[in-house]
Amino acid sequence: MNIETSEFHWGMVIDLDRCTGCGACVTACQAENNIPISEQDGIANGRNLHWIRIERYWEGEFPHVRARFLPMLCQHCDDAPCEPVCPVYASYHNPEGLNGQVYNRCVGTRYCANNCPYAVRVFNFFNPKWPKPLEQQLSPDVTVRSRGVMEKCSFCIQRIRRGKEQASLENRKLLDGEVMPACAQTCPPQAIIFGDLNDPDSRVSKLARSPRRFRLFEDLGTEPSVIYLKGGGHDHPG
Amino acid sequence: MKRRSFLQLSGMSLASSMLAGCRKGNEKLIPFLVPPEDGAIPGIANYYASTCRQCPAGCGVLVRVHEGRAQKVEGNPHHPVNQGKLCARGQAMLQELYHPDRIKQPLKRTGIRGSGQFIPISWDEALKQLAGALAPYQQKEQEGLLLFSAPLRGSLARLTGDFLQHFPKAQHLAWEPLSPEWLQQGLFGNPGIPDYDLGNTQYLLSFGADFLESHLSPVRYGHGFGHMRQERQTVRGRYSYIGPRLSLTAASADRWLPARPGTEWALAFGIIRRLLQEKSFDASALQAAGLSVTNVTELVANFNVQRVAEIADISPTEIRATINEAVSISPALALVGEMTAWQSNGSAAVAAVELLNLMLGNINRPGGLYFTPATDAHISSNYAELTGLIERMQQKKVQLALIYGCNPVFSIPSDSNFSAALANIPQIISFASFLDETSLQADLILPDHSNLESWGDIVPPAGTRQQVIGLIQPVVKPLHNTRAFPDVLLALAKGMGGNLAMQLPHESYLQWLEEDLIKRIPDLFIGDRRQQMDHLLQQGGWFGPELEPISPKALKRPERVVSPEFSGAQEQYPLQLQVYASVNFYDGRSSHLPWLQQLPDPMTTVVWGNWLEINPQTARKLGVNQGDLVEVSSPAGKLTLPAVLYPGLRPEVVACPIGQGHQGLGRYADRRGENPLKLIKETEASKQRLTWGGTRVQVRRLAASSGLVTAGHAEGSYHRDLLGL
Amino acid sequence: MTTRANRYDAVRMNREMLSSMSPPTWRWYLLAAVLGAVVAFGLYAFTVQVTTGMGVTGINRPVMWGIYIISFVFWVGLSHSGTMVSAILRLSKASWRRPILRGAEAMTVFSISVAGLFPLIHLGRNWIFYYLLPYPNQRGLWPNFRSPLLFDMVAINTYIIGSTIFLYIGLLPDLAVVRDCSSGWKKKIYAILAMGWRGSAEQWQVFSRGSTLLACLIIPVAVSVHSIVAWDFAVTLVPGWHSTIFAPYFVIGAITSGVAAVITLMIVIRKLFKLEEFLQPVHFDNMAKLLLAVCLLWSYFYFSEVFTTWYAHKPIEWEIFSFMSSRYGIMLLIMMLGNTIVPIIGLCFRQVRRSLPALLVITLLVNLAMFIERFLIVVPSLSHKNIPFIWGSYTPSWVELAIMVASFALFFLLYTLFAKFFPILAITDVREQEEVLLGSQQNGRTRLETLVKEE
Repeated sequence: MNIETSEFHWGMVIDLDRCTGCGACVTACQAENNIPISEQDGIANGRNLHWIRIERYWEGEFPHVRARFLPMLCQHCDDAPCEPVCPVYASYHNPEGLNGQVYNRCVGTRYCANNCPYAVRVFNFFNPKWPKPLEQQLSPDVTVRSRGVMEKCSFCIQRIRRGKEQASLENRKLLDGEVMPACAQTCPPQAIIFGDLNDPDSRVSKLARSPRRFRLFEDLGTEPSVIYLKGGGHDHPG
Repeated sequence: MKRRSFLQLSGMSLASSMLAGCRKGNEKLIPFLVPPEDGAIPGIANYYASTCRQCPAGCGVLVRVHEGRAQKVEGNPHHPVNQGKLCARGQAMLQELYHPDRIKQPLKRTGIRGSGQFIPISWDEALKQLAGALAPYQQKEQEGLLLFSAPLRGSLARLTGDFLQHFPKAQHLAWEPLSPEWLQQGLFGNPGIPDYDLGNTQYLLSFGADFLESHLSPVRYGHGFGHMRQERQTVRGRYSYIGPRLSLTAASADRWLPARPGTEWALAFGIIRRLLQEKSFDASALQAAGLSVTNVTELVANFNVQRVAEIADISPTEIRATINEAVSISPALALVGEMTAWQSNGSAAVAAVELLNLMLGNINRPGGLYFTPATDAHISSNYAELTGLIERMQQKKVQLALIYGCNPVFSIPSDSNFSAALANIPQIISFASFLDETSLQADLILPDHSNLESWGDIVPPAGTRQQVIGLIQPVVKPLHNTRAFPDVLLALAKGMGGNLAMQLPHESYLQWLEEDLIKRIPDLFIGDRRQQMDHLLQQGGWFGPELEPISPKALKRPERVVSPEFSGAQEQYPLQLQVYASVNFYDGRSSHLPWLQQLPDPMTTVVWGNWLEINPQTARKLGVNQGDLVEVSSPAGKLTLPAVLYPGLRPEVVACPIGQGHQGLGRYADRRGENPLKLIKETEASKQRLTWGGTRVQVRRLAASSGLVTAGHAEGSYHRDLLGL
Repeated sequence: MTTRANRYDAVRMNREMLSSMSPPTWRWYLLAAVLGAVVAFGLYAFTVQVTTGMGVTGINRPVMWGIYIISFVFWVGLSHSGTMVSAILRLSKASWRRPILRGAEAMTVFSISVAGLFPLIHLGRNWIFYYLLPYPNQRGLWPNFRSPLLFDMVAINTYIIGSTIFLYIGLLPDLAVVRDCSSGWKKKIYAILAMGWRGSAEQWQVFSRGSTLLACLIIPVAVSVHSIVAWDFAVTLVPGWHSTIFAPYFVIGAITSGVAAVITLMIVIRKLFKLEEFLQPVHFDNMAKLLLAVCLLWSYFYFSEVFTTWYAHKPIEWEIFSFMSSRYGIMLLIMMLGNTIVPIIGLCFRQVRRSLPALLVITLLVNLAMFIERFLIVVPSLSHKNIPFIWGSYTPSWVELAIMVASFALFFLLYTLFAKFFPILAITDVREQEEVLLGSQQNGRTRLETLVKEE
């Protein structure tokens, strides 16, 4: 669904030449979005609830070995495969190009997760638990999801809202870089850049025009809003 | 929420919205009759600036506080160290505050040491007992008082110093495993920790320095790394890493040179030799440092490409290419880190790399490194002092130990017998927030505040060209009945009376801190003191003007580097063990935080545990598969660990991260994995400096399953081709 | 004389064919109790799932669908049995279908009903399943008609309703017979159920026209139901699922499993009700030939799918096949044996086609293989989806297995109950066939030319 009625089209650029794979974004996201703690068993059983993950791929054999990192989060596709298959519109497209997920609408068919080629949708297999007083950290801006619902990266929609409200209170337009998801905000090498793709002068738009740009599974026609910049210059043989 | 209350609430909100609809507009909500004292307004978040203490780097943070609860830690964009960025460990600081297993009030031991049996006591009683224990040591000749802490800087260093003055024979040992003492004792001595200008360099060469994960100031260097790679319009900085293990830091390099452990320095000599040949070295810097060209030429004369390649066991082509790059691209910056320094020849190897930087003309130039004068009080001890202390403890010369801000039982190799020596101390008093290995041995625990409840200051030991005093302020009210360590010192002073009370009359550590700040930056507090202080707290500290860099003098002549020594016979122990600081847990102090336990290790993607990395070729020979349980034995001990096949490792090397293997430290860390420091064999030489990279081990397969959990699919991790990456 | 002899025969036949409805024996009670217990255990497992969460299943990321969806597809496939016999054989006027007609139709209704339970069991939040229904609500929210799951719901409901009507219409004359043979409150109930069937010529005419019409209508429904189930998979981007062949392939698979189930049913009913004279070896021979044909078709479809994948060798799709053959190699082998090798080779031989023990083994094997086939469609594709970093695998948990076993028990329990309360043999149809031999048929006071003229 490509109908946009808003002036914004949120997008993200991830520069793989900058990404060091450190994992700061993962924890920042977990803190920001009330993501439950997954115990060892849960992760062993494929129930990790992280919204963003760093994929590490090995290449070659010693001594010509490389490790490549690929931060993977919801790609907020313009033509999202998860949206049409949801029978209850829990997965929907918002006017600003975001893939929304309505937790209280979701019945848990998990069809969206199957149809997501990026495998970024996670399912609440159990009710989340935070031993007291860990629950005091939870942010009131983000719903704590109950069991049986799907969830995924929201591009920190609560921060976008907050930014827009602040801008409208001050009767001005939202500035480029004013709104940042937790991952982009914390990323030490600034590999993650977030902004409005509709604004040709925004930092994200400029970077998105880089010759190093590529999108994952472009052939599937999902039109992701996350644009990767190729990690370059690896002149290591192999 | 119960359905009834939900209905009530929804009814109320419906009614109120209807009522509101009757009025014209909604200009005002009903104000509080009594505004909340702490300024906590429902629905409004406040940001408080503070400083991170998860590692010594001292990154500035902003904490989002919502109705009195800390919700999110973010980097402070105005802080010169981290420029708004923060690592995973810093993010997880919140869980230290809200950890379910924090010590909630003073405890007194009832069972035997280590049994974990304590009874809660009141602060009055705890302080009385502590004061009673301390009192005898105020006498001139009374020996046996020890304060064991992490290295202290700034205000707290001064307060402890002032406090301990009244105990004439007291010993203060301030040590932690990752403290860069080896760099401070390098070629230039103090001030040994320069500011590396990664962001502006064109060629970066890391000699075993894992600067993106644990070395000195990872967030700052991470930020610089991003800048070096892609921030400049036309230049993409190139970067090579030399070291036996493809660490997270090495993984980002354009070229990885898998040198034998303890041979990285040979490359530095190779480059210096070429610089001398081409006469493209910085002669003036060499002269200014007090070194002679002939001396250096002699030293590196034999280090042609072939020799370097032989020593390090790397293909000559790679060595030649690296040397070419290092001498032709300018500025080229060399970093040296723990993997090199923790070898028996580490001291000379570190000096070799420092000499390389000097010859490359990097001193005090953009894209190089800046030496700035030491600006603040600093209490730090080296490894030799630590081993000396252990001897004294074994000789029962320590009667009372105060342990603050560190966990030595965990972070000192068991071969050095620290725990046994600790048992000799009749009275141990801990200020820990958690029941860790060390505080479990304590007789009395006076729990410290969490970082987010404390006052304090941090002077970043490495990484800024300006003078920085990061301030720590409480962002929430203390959760439990705990007290900050410096407040305990002041309360003790008051309680013990005499000179001590005269000299330390401060009501609280905040008062001390303010007075101390005024002393350190007098011109800052010209106007309203309160207002100035508030301003500093708001911006997260005091960020002074850029300091005039100093040109360092070499303290010693660079020396020949000998081959590294390894303890253990090669026949019995064919593999070399390299331990390294965990990306997630640093030196093990963060292992109790579930977010970090859950965070996949970036290289192995292991969660909730630790592992032994083995090169797949070696593993094949040993019959070991991914996830098998193996036994690692060294002359010092034996451990059982899950095996991880790690292609980025030399075949004769196995590696294990430090950080797991706690006995205690709360439910998330307790008995999870193993502590590889139990394998480190201490030698006579290693008593002088930390040589944790010099132990040989043997690996034996025990069983097929080990409970190893990885976030990434072991086989899928080799299929990047399917992504078109 | 003929009439009297007929009448006598009719009464005897009625009694014989209603024997299944005689008061239950302890064996029956035992069977019902065992089945009930299994169902109860399944209910307990479901309760555990509902109260603790989907985590008690083996479902994970990336394998978000498991045994529940596999069972769903299996039962939908099985439901094609009734359609096959009642509709196709009816239209093709194969008269030997008559004794098994009712049994097969009941099988359809029960298996599609059991199938319909699975999507609901499978939901993460079953308690709000009604969000899937287009019911009027204050929020003005409708379900998403673009979602194949909604197609599914519509198709399954249509099939349940359609096949129930089909079964019920066929039952009418027999219910009248039961009504006539029973007394007391039972008679009242059956009288209501028989809807005033008197067996008049007009009623018979309407009946026969209606049955034929329904038979024509139910076939496209059956085809569409399984096509839609196939599209649940085929319309996605999942490698190994996204394939145009899936709809016809699923339909053939369903017919394969339906035909095999009908043969199994024929063997069981023949044995239970001693219908040796009705179900003769030639009938089994015919059905076996049909099974051979659909097995050949199925194998052809399967080959086409694997062949094109292998030839194109698109990395991710081939990865899924390689993964399937390594991780689930034994299952793949059983599937190939059960769906292709054993039936195709075995059914080529006349002796096998006419040997009931051999047929029983083959047909059960075919259905086992069909269950495995569904497993191998659902699980490997999800396990090794596009992102290699989070590849996984799937092993069902006890909860899922308990619910799956309970679904079989529920099916048999429903079937047993049905056989106790309704005539499991189509009395009128069988009598009709009897009377075919006599050339005419007595229906009430009218005498009609027989409706069937075959053999």
